[in-house]
Amino acid sequence: MSESSASSNVVYESSVTAVGDQVGEFLSHGILIFFADESPQELHDMSVRHTATVSDAGPQTGDTIALGETQMEVLAVGSVVSDNLLQLGHLDLKANGLTEATLPGDVNVAEQLLPLPTPGDAFRIVRAGQPTPGGSP
Amino acid sequence: MPDYTSVTIKQGRGGWGGPLTVTPTDDKPLIYSVTGGGIHPVAARIAELTGGEAFDGFKSSAPFEKIAVAVIDCGGTARVGVYPMKKVLTVDVHATSPAGPLAQFITEELFVSGVKPEDVEPA
Repeated sequence: MSESSASSNVVYESSVTAVGDQVGEFLSHGILIFFADESPQELHDMSVRHTATVSDAGPQTGDTIALGETQMEVLAVGSVVSDNLLQLGHLDLKANGLTEATLPGDVNVAEQLLPLPTPGDAFRIVRAGQPTPGGSP
Repeated sequence: MPDYTSVTIKQGRGGWGGPLTVTPTDDKPLIYSVTGGGIHPVAARIAELTGGEAFDGFKSSAPFEKIAVAVIDCGGTARVGVYPMKKVLTVDVHATSPAGPLAQFITEELFVSGVKPEDVEPA
């Protein structure tokens, strides 16, 4: 693994374990849904499942989400996103270009064709810059 | 064999859908909580009032046909549709409305949102 630079911080680091059969259909709506590997079975079809090794914080506006080779800037984050990600490994990624979250679970990035992940891909949230109050030295 | 009673679950502030009447049965005893942090207080309240069995969907898996009602803390896209699509009564503790690719399955008869424990009352 590459060392993290002094000016950025990986706040969430995970690895894709499985990709459900319906994920491609959600991709055609510009949506990718993530859930932790141990999520209930009825959610598997629609989800990209993953296991986190770093789970320090949910995304904020201005963060970068990396999925495999693709990097995406976070434009907006709904009010329940952090709880969902940290507790359930759950995140709804939407390539809608909106700078306000329409739904409380939305994480918005630029309009684009989102990548179809494959098992083993990294799923990572990187925070730029400023020191985190009370964070690690 | 437990005795089951019914509850009425109405929408909370800013919520949508319902009211739902939930009555567990021997075939469908589970109050299925698919929420962060274990059994949600709304699920606990439904279980307490109905005699149903509170069940943590993230801890272990349950046969789908055993579910009397699913309690979710969904932010509006995924879980809001999954359970109604399978005709399972669904309670979202967040105040969401039908949206997302599965919006067509979310109906007032199957779904209620914005629900807090006090929105669950004996029927």
